[in-house]
Amino acid sequence: MSSASHADSPLLEPLISMLMDGDTEAALLEARRVRAAGAAGPTEVVRALEAAMDRMSCKCTAEQFNLLEIMLAGRTVTAVAHDTFPEGSVPSTRGTVVIATPQGDVHDLGKNLTRMVLATKGFRVVDCGKDCPAPVMIQAVAREDAFALLVSGLISPVVPLVRQLRGLLRERGLSAVRLLAGGAALQQCSAEALNVDFVAGDAFECARYLEGLKADRP
Amino acid sequence: MSGLERVLAAVRRTGTRVPAVPQIFGHAARTGGVPLRRYLTDPAALARCQVAAMEHYATDAVFALFDASVETEALGSRLRFPGDSYPIIERYILERASDVARLPLPDPRRAGRMPVALEAVRLLRCEAGDRALVAGCVLGPMTLACQLMGAEPALFAAIDETAAFEQVLDFSVELALCFGTAQLEAGAHLCIVFEPSASPAVVPPAFFRGLLKPRLRRLCEGLKRQGALASWLHIAGPVEPILPYYRDCAVEIANLDYCVDPVRARAAAPDLCLAGNIRPMAFLDSGPEVITEACAQVLREAGQGFLLSSGCEIPLDARPECVHALVRAVRP
Repeated sequence: MSSASHADSPLLEPLISMLMDGDTEAALLEARRVRAAGAAGPTEVVRALEAAMDRMSCKCTAEQFNLLEIMLAGRTVTAVAHDTFPEGSVPSTRGTVVIATPQGDVHDLGKNLTRMVLATKGFRVVDCGKDCPAPVMIQAVAREDAFALLVSGLISPVVPLVRQLRGLLRERGLSAVRLLAGGAALQQCSAEALNVDFVAGDAFECARYLEGLKADRP
Repeated sequence: MSGLERVLAAVRRTGTRVPAVPQIFGHAARTGGVPLRRYLTDPAALARCQVAAMEHYATDAVFALFDASVETEALGSRLRFPGDSYPIIERYILERASDVARLPLPDPRRAGRMPVALEAVRLLRCEAGDRALVAGCVLGPMTLACQLMGAEPALFAAIDETAAFEQVLDFSVELALCFGTAQLEAGAHLCIVFEPSASPAVVPPAFFRGLLKPRLRRLCEGLKRQGALASWLHIAGPVEPILPYYRDCAVEIANLDYCVDPVRARAAAPDLCLAGNIRPMAFLDSGPEVITEACAQVLREAGQGFLLSSGCEIPLDARPECVHALVRAVRP
């Protein structure tokens, strides 16, 4: 869903701004007000969450991306989502993905951001954590019936593990699972060099790729 | 002309031959046949591997650079060395930013691996003398704050508890000055200020300008006062928006990562000596011809006052022929 599709919701603009500013306290109050305003309340809140993420995505493509601003917005988005859907998060309608930071790497800021962005966009995200061995990722993909495996790596020693993932998926009969890579070290490499389907420059590019895949699926 | 003289001439923008300064850190352990953990804990092993790499590749610098956890370990964070890889922080010493008031400055002669680093500097200077630049290293304040608290808690603390977080930054500057001074006394020609967490990929330029610029200035000026021959700020990622502030930070050498256009960087910081910017992973996933072409391009574009280097650390398992290709680009 593009940001243009939210332009017809001026009543949501205050909430969208609060989400983007990372003003959790104000955003929670405004989201509750929106929910109380009508039967479509929770749906409207979800639209605002998606709009905020879409606009952050536009900032990224304009080369203004920085982790701190996205983290602050993400923290607020997560708080509003949990407040709106206390039983879980935004309803998952776009399928399951598994995400991990590979064994040998404990830098998981990028992974955590990607998890938040995807969850807000309606993906069910199974997080295998950081310093994660390849077999744990493969088991999670099989167990959760995921359609994609995402790996985020900041440092170069994780490259050999990433290159092995395709073969390990194939051995488990999971050849159809899409493999995505991102993070400071991995994004320097081509998809071919990493033996993956796609290398994402940031969390939003990852989301756009997955949204495109879902649109292509029957 | 020695390697050291070439580097200093580049800083003064008077040199005729561009120095070759690939950022060979742990890769020296690989080429020296030494397990990385030993390299990171044994000063003689590090010094031997660094000098061997310098002589083998004919580079202009050696680096007494261990990992990004030396300072936090010295303060009490708990590390784990997983296999043949860099250490991982298992427990951070600071749970809250305000706890920094209880942290004493460590004694570099006794705390953690700081004495190992100092001895490595001493041995390197004994071996390399003034043939090559002997570079020490300290963490910049933002990076050390992240290493003391964990990156995510540190970034949230910067917004939620700004005053306490600024105390962490000030403490980090003091620690860097203390550790850096000890390295200079041990023989380092300069100390690289390693500050990847200040990258615009992590924090906005306004954050850099407001919170980090004055502290980096204090650090760089302090190191110069203690005898550093130049100040070198190493920030990876898309630094173009903050390059205009480097002069106010008293920086003389600026690292350029592969994603920064050298022409635009030169326009943004005309007075600086630039160091970069070959894509680090190219040393792993490409052939020497790719390195040769990339070097030729950056040498055409970077102008006077330049160190030919990788955009960041050369990967541990880099292809040696790729490192040779970088050096050959300035030493036909």
